[in-house]
Amino acid sequence: MTQVQRRKQLIVLRQTPYASSLARSATDLALAMGAFEQDVELLFLGDAVLQLLDGQAAEAIGQKNLGKILASLPLYDIEFAYVDAAALARHGLVGEDLVLPVRPLDAAAIQSLMAACDHLLSL
Amino acid sequence: MILHTLNAAPSSPAFAQCLELAAAQDCILLLGDGVYAALPGSEASERLGSQPARICVLEADAAAAGLLPRLGAVEVLDYEGFVTLSEQYPRQMAWY
Amino acid sequence: MIYSLLVLSSPISGHGSRHALHFAEAAIARGHQVNRVFFLDAGAGTGNGNAVLPQDEGDISGAWRGLASEHGLELVLCISSALKRGMLDASEAERYEKAGAMVCEEFSIAGLGQLIDAGSTAERLLTFGG
Repeated sequence: MTQVQRRKQLIVLRQTPYASSLARSATDLALAMGAFEQDVELLFLGDAVLQLLDGQAAEAIGQKNLGKILASLPLYDIEFAYVDAAALARHGLVGEDLVLPVRPLDAAAIQSLMAACDHLLSL
Repeated sequence: MILHTLNAAPSSPAFAQCLELAAAQDCILLLGDGVYAALPGSEASERLGSQPARICVLEADAAAAGLLPRLGAVEVLDYEGFVTLSEQYPRQMAWY
Repeated sequence: MIYSLLVLSSPISGHGSRHALHFAEAAIARGHQVNRVFFLDAGAGTGNGNAVLPQDEGDISGAWRGLASEHGLELVLCISSALKRGMLDASEAERYEKAGAMVCEEFSIAGLGQLIDAGSTAERLLTFGG
């Protein structure tokens, strides 16, 4: 018999929004985990903070608007995202520029967050 | 305790992020393009040497890259060793 | 221990697909159970039964199929990743009126729930990309 436990899962997003299909796959996974009422949180590392930038108009390049999809995460009980504070600063961005409430973390806090999860999904 | 599987060339952002976030109780397994960081005397190997995590390198990928005859004092593992690491380190973070 | 694997890499480019394959072989050899391998994004190409490889290149997809037949390993392609890449099984080919099925019989096509389900019972979940 397999014992089913509630795993603490962290999706670690690392891609810019439209350069590859990975960012979209990561978002699909986040929505699916939310819909299945999983214990899941999101961490946007490095250039992935750009996925959260407000005002994306991806229809201009024939893509689905990733920012809009990410903004819908609270409907799936994912109320906020963790972001790489250094990356945010590097891009000259602040929380108000983003589509979702965020909690900026420094490297030490990111280490603690990762170490506290059961499963890390890196996309 | 995290097993960081580092499959990214030393000049990539993923490589830098991995080194920044690997902690003393973690292990970094160099594989794929990550094996080049095991080149002795390279800038990347110096960066690896100045961070606290345990370092291992995947034998097949090091061999493919031409590194086996050049490796210094680094733990070289086959796939069974990779699985053993995953037993010892309960979570894995993939960098690529 | 129970393992689930998430494969994001194409079988014909990069290292991730090969790493996942040999990891699965070694994990099974050490007596672990791999409860499911889920192929997402470019990983979905692994199920392509019409791929023809030069003789001197390793056939990663073929090796996955061998592992599935030998050990009953469950191989699942993400349905949206698969369909986008023209990877259809017989029922999807019929539904979308496409010429034929591309997916080998050792692979099934399913939604992300199959990854979530596998991960919820697994003590280890490893991601393979790049």
